[in-house]
Amino acid sequence: MRGAAAVWEFVSKYGLIALLIAFPAYFAITDLSNGEGLTRIGNNLVAGLSNGSIWALVALGYTLVYGIIELINFAHGEVFMIGSFVAFALYGTLGLTLATGPLGLAVGLFVALILSMLASGTLNVMIERVAYRPLRNAPKLAPLITAVGVSFILQNVGILWLGSSQKAIPDLIGAQRVLVDVAGVTISRADVLAVGVTVPLVFLLTAFVSRSRLGKAMRATAQDPEAARLMGINVDTTISLTFLLGGLLAGAAGLINALYQTNVWYFQGFTAGLIAFTAAVMGGIGNLRGAVLGGLIIGVIQQISDNRIGNQWTPAVVFAYLVLIMVFRPQGLIGEETREAG
Amino acid sequence: MWRSLTNPLKEGPILRARWTVILCLLGALALGLTACGSDDDGGGGGGGGGTAAGETLTIYSSLPLQGTSKEQSEAVINGERLALKQSGNKVGRFKIKYVSLDDSTAQNPGTADEGQTAQNARKAVQDKSTIFYLGEFNSGGTKVSLPILNKAGIPQISPSNTAVGLTTDEAGADPGEPQKYYPAKTRTYARVVPKDTIQGAALATTMKEDGCKSVHIFNDKTTYGAGLARNVSTSAKEQGIKVAGNDGTDKNSPNYRSLAAKIKADCFVGSGVTGENYVQVFKDVGAANPDIKLYGPDGVAEKAFTNPKKGGIPAELAKRTKITVATLGLEEFKKRGNAEAERFFRDFEATYNESNPDPYAIYGYETMALALDTLKAVGDKANDRKAVVEQLVGNTKGRNSVLGTYDIDENGDTTLTDYGLYTINEAGEPEFQKVIKAQEG
Repeated sequence: MRGAAAVWEFVSKYGLIALLIAFPAYFAITDLSNGEGLTRIGNNLVAGLSNGSIWALVALGYTLVYGIIELINFAHGEVFMIGSFVAFALYGTLGLTLATGPLGLAVGLFVALILSMLASGTLNVMIERVAYRPLRNAPKLAPLITAVGVSFILQNVGILWLGSSQKAIPDLIGAQRVLVDVAGVTISRADVLAVGVTVPLVFLLTAFVSRSRLGKAMRATAQDPEAARLMGINVDTTISLTFLLGGLLAGAAGLINALYQTNVWYFQGFTAGLIAFTAAVMGGIGNLRGAVLGGLIIGVIQQISDNRIGNQWTPAVVFAYLVLIMVFRPQGLIGEETREAG
Repeated sequence: MWRSLTNPLKEGPILRARWTVILCLLGALALGLTACGSDDDGGGGGGGGGTAAGETLTIYSSLPLQGTSKEQSEAVINGERLALKQSGNKVGRFKIKYVSLDDSTAQNPGTADEGQTAQNARKAVQDKSTIFYLGEFNSGGTKVSLPILNKAGIPQISPSNTAVGLTTDEAGADPGEPQKYYPAKTRTYARVVPKDTIQGAALATTMKEDGCKSVHIFNDKTTYGAGLARNVSTSAKEQGIKVAGNDGTDKNSPNYRSLAAKIKADCFVGSGVTGENYVQVFKDVGAANPDIKLYGPDGVAEKAFTNPKKGGIPAELAKRTKITVATLGLEEFKKRGNAEAERFFRDFEATYNESNPDPYAIYGYETMALALDTLKAVGDKANDRKAVVEQLVGNTKGRNSVLGTYDIDENGDTTLTDYGLYTINEAGEPEFQKVIKAQEG
């Protein structure tokens, strides 16, 4: 019996990884057999990884909050959207235009990054304080539906702020200008920006959670809030800190998204939230590395599907993968057995 | 790393149920977003014509007044109001009341929202004084309002619908069209712009003239966009242009880079409306294909698309973009000796202080003028919807108008076929270049 369980564990884990690799591998082989080389699949992977980096940053916010209070913060996508709106507003405040020189742009965008992160972080803390904390001891569905409500409120704030249509914004960095071209596989400025901001932030977050005193307090609170309280940890502050971290990452993702997509929209948070939540579940909700992995995988699947199969099928392909992963590995790709997973 | 320090397994069944609830909520949210856009025809009131009550007759206008189409719709309304004002708000013994309705919503701006459109049509049906309904701007909206109004026998004129299936079953129509829009089995709808068989041919003709060898089409999956894409495809093939692809785009997509990356053609047609994220579509296609020639239909002939200061495409992309619209420029009207059109431009400027009105202003004017002249033609029966419908669809022949001389055929289509070719000038405005003499595909 133990042997069968071990085989199942091996198959469910590595079989799924093989299945994930099979998707790009199939198209790579097809391209090779058509004499097209690996350029197209290479470009798909580059675009997928950079787009996935944005999903990863948003997914981290879901996983952080879920990890500590087991709440799916449906408003998190809208916090990301507000981050994008703040970033766009800062273009004007900081005088960033297409005519701004490289140095001014670099400094201005760095300031915009910090301010967007602070704005989204503060907003997320306020949401927790006003909408979720009073419901801490209420049945789980109460904060869940409150999160849905907050999400709609923020969407309406977005509509009041910039209207309800997609708003094209200046392409400050020349997002699609090619920086590197290796045998036809191109890496654009937007790709470098997305990965260049995401990677350090993920490392910083991981180091903070695993090594700092406050990070330990977060982990202790996640494990057992009552015991953490008895050990002298201020649980409320720790939870607020978690929301702050999630908000900071959403703010960073908001700015990258504005520069990357060159448009902002009140509804962008809903779409991103759904994808990022899926990424968090795919990777193993509550697991930081899982959220990042899930985001990157979904980014790649989306790009390949859009480019090879047709964008009308992309949501179906992404969710088919999610269903497969959930069936064979309910705890997610690198998540561990939890009470949620049963 | 994070979860590894959290609680081990417990409460399995309860929490599995919780997951089910969460997934149901997610599903409900997703469904809710689409369901809120759907509606039934509701019926109510009317039924096969009848007589509008009282000495005051009401003309409803239903257009998207929010989002990217706001300026276009306002131009249509200004045109309609100007025609009404010139009639002294009267036809014979009847006073005319004008009611402007918004068929878009804050959540679904820039285009007709199905639920809101149905509500507007029902409002007109429930009003016993209704004699005309002018709208919708978007063909997808008319798909919703037309059956409701047709059942009540209310005559309807659109200033801008081009989808083939609204009036005929020619190439570009979906199965079941147009019969499904006419439950009363009589035609109550007319339009003053040529249908998309003409626009598709106009786009193909322009591409042929520009030396296009192959074309890739994106469509916004709406009634208008998908139908026009089929027409462009048919006409392009007939003119010897290879159709490399026809892909649908999703308004909610953050970008279209992957789709744009697969284009291998030298020309591109974006068959959609600005409100379906077509600024982003053109930006991504233009960036991924630096030498491609870009073509757009009347759905993007608005400043929200052409002017970067209003969120439109960047100036360098605008230089590579050509747009087809059924309206012609003032100079062309002058050349043709169309005094009605010249008078329209003069009066429009005098009334609204706008010398270069949006291309759709003249269609707004003609829509109202056609409605008023139809009422005038039936005299004392101007409050009889059946008589008005018969006059509109059956007897509009050789009409001299600001658009030229035309008939409304038995399907409700105009016999005008000229299309205007527009480029985008440095001020970010559509600028008339020439007339395209296109043959239907």
